[in-house]
Amino acid sequence: MRLGAALLVLGIVLGGCVSTRPPLRSAPVELTDVPFFAQTAYQCGPAALATVLNDSGLDILPADITSDVFIPDRKGSLQIELVAAARRHGRLPYLIEGDVEALLTELEAGRPVLVLQNLAFRRWPKWHYAVVVGYLPGRDRFVLRSGRKERRQTPTGLFAHRWSLADSWGFVVLDEGELPASASADGWVRTLAASEGRIDPEFARAGYEAGLARWPDNPLLLFAAANFHYGSGDQAGALKLYRHVLELEPAHPAARNNLANLLLERGCVTQARLEIDRALADLPADDPLRPALEDTRNEARAADEGSAECRQVEPGSDGKPEDAWQ
Amino acid sequence: MKFRRIVSHLVAISLLLAQVLSPVHAAMVGTTDYLGVQDRASLVATVDAVLARADVRDELVAMGVDPAAALERVDALSDAELQQLAGQLESLPAGGDGFLALVGAVFVVLIILELTGVINIFNKA
Repeated sequence: MRLGAALLVLGIVLGGCVSTRPPLRSAPVELTDVPFFAQTAYQCGPAALATVLNDSGLDILPADITSDVFIPDRKGSLQIELVAAARRHGRLPYLIEGDVEALLTELEAGRPVLVLQNLAFRRWPKWHYAVVVGYLPGRDRFVLRSGRKERRQTPTGLFAHRWSLADSWGFVVLDEGELPASASADGWVRTLAASEGRIDPEFARAGYEAGLARWPDNPLLLFAAANFHYGSGDQAGALKLYRHVLELEPAHPAARNNLANLLLERGCVTQARLEIDRALADLPADDPLRPALEDTRNEARAADEGSAECRQVEPGSDGKPEDAWQ
Repeated sequence: MKFRRIVSHLVAISLLLAQVLSPVHAAMVGTTDYLGVQDRASLVATVDAVLARADVRDELVAMGVDPAAALERVDALSDAELQQLAGQLESLPAGGDGFLALVGAVFVVLIILELTGVINIFNKA
């Protein structure tokens, strides 16, 4: 216990005052155009969110955000509600990977990062939101819009320590069609999925498009994009994307299941049965997706082969023009 | 209050059943479900989310949030977010004020003094 406390003190003192590590970047970066809103009592959440939203082109005051996020009895705001409030104001929040590298990558791409810090101790936390706007390798400092300071300079090690005590949590806000510089395909799919139904569908469409431009052959992104197209009524677009997933990953049970459903909806019963049987043949007995796939198989078996005309037309085949599928 | 809760749960369950019984989407695997399976979460998580929504709203109101605002706020959350919040509103980090960092600094000084033996305030014996 004593040793732990001593190490903690040592860590803070060393992290704060002495740095023998090489700088994280050779060139400084500072986003001087990011606005500043001095926080009033307990309102660092709304102030920090207003900072990034205004930087993203909105015109909004911290006071406009308070009723979206503030919890009187906690004298503060929760992380999840800040993220949700960004969506409510028409921006897509993206949680960055919890490391300094991702933070710097976003800064260099011109995006300020809203972060949570614990200014005190793990067992006795003091939670505080701020916006990182710069990194100065020469002085070994991060620059933050924080509290009542427009340009608070925190030593790199001290910031990293306070940030890590808050699980290195931070996010950027995006306008339509933007993709974070530090994003991973997996993180991007999770972001879009969590926002589904809570942001403008055009926003989501632009998000999938931007993602597919960067990761054209990522099965998870293709699958999610296919589901999005299906959900917005674009069966042809969905079909094409499910097929693309299955070319890359033939044993993708969810994609094959959804393809089978789509074929059923289009009256292509024989093809649907082939697809779902193939998906089930490859699936382990205890796979959590099995019930959904068995439902599909039962539907396919019950469907009457002759009842509907199969509206399944391959692009280019059957003399139909390719653009019928776009 | 109890009656309201029961009613809200009944409404939640009926909404859920409507969702489950919807004929067209019955066997499609959605992205959120798929991610849930990958994360080893259960497919029945949606059930909890609908209940979590009522819980989180009640908790927000109990903690001083205006009831109408609380309703809008839970509507803005995804199922996964609702489940993370349910029952955790007291304990999750709530960022508020940075000003009291001074108290932390004083505490550090006290620990240093304690460790170096200058003062002796943390040992009871």
